[in-house]
Amino acid sequence: MSALHVAAVACFGVGVGVVVLTALASLRARRAADRLHYLTPATALGAPLVGLGLVLENGWSLTSAQIAVTCGLIMITGPVLTSAALRLAAQREGTVPQESPE
Amino acid sequence: MNAWLVGVLALVGIGLPVATWIASRGDPVERLVGLELAGVVATLALLGFAQAVAQPSYLIVPTIAVVLSFAGTLVFARLLAPRS
Repeated sequence: MSALHVAAVACFGVGVGVVVLTALASLRARRAADRLHYLTPATALGAPLVGLGLVLENGWSLTSAQIAVTCGLIMITGPVLTSAALRLAAQREGTVPQESPE
Repeated sequence: MNAWLVGVLALVGIGLPVATWIASRGDPVERLVGLELAGVVATLALLGFAQAVAQPSYLIVPTIAVVLSFAGTLVFARLLAPRS
């Protein structure tokens, strides 16, 4: 068992832990906006850590490239979906105009 | 059972039921948050599963799942918007 394998498993484990903990923490939130705040660490921290662990395990290869692309897509699309859901919540609460910002 | 499979089991056994629970109750926006969380958890679980069974060809599934989850959540956000 090499040090690289230990580092890879550690990164993967911490990433999975972050995702599971944020999922459990979002259960405590009552409003949708609060739940979205809990969701952010899963996409901004958990996914890159899981991807880093898998890339460290596989080394420089096409497999690692595909894992990096997938985790990169999660990191890019996460904030977009969060802002879309927050805008929807604000529209339904009436705090922003319904047609804004089209 | 290797370490990767343990992580996958944690995601599927804890993260996915929690996301399903959030997605199945409350107002539509809260359900949308649950759907988004379920997409992230399922994608990471599929990544870990491909590593656990040493089948890199399985990686196409989470890659496509990210794109479809993104498009699907945006469509739901659009359809749930109040009509003026």
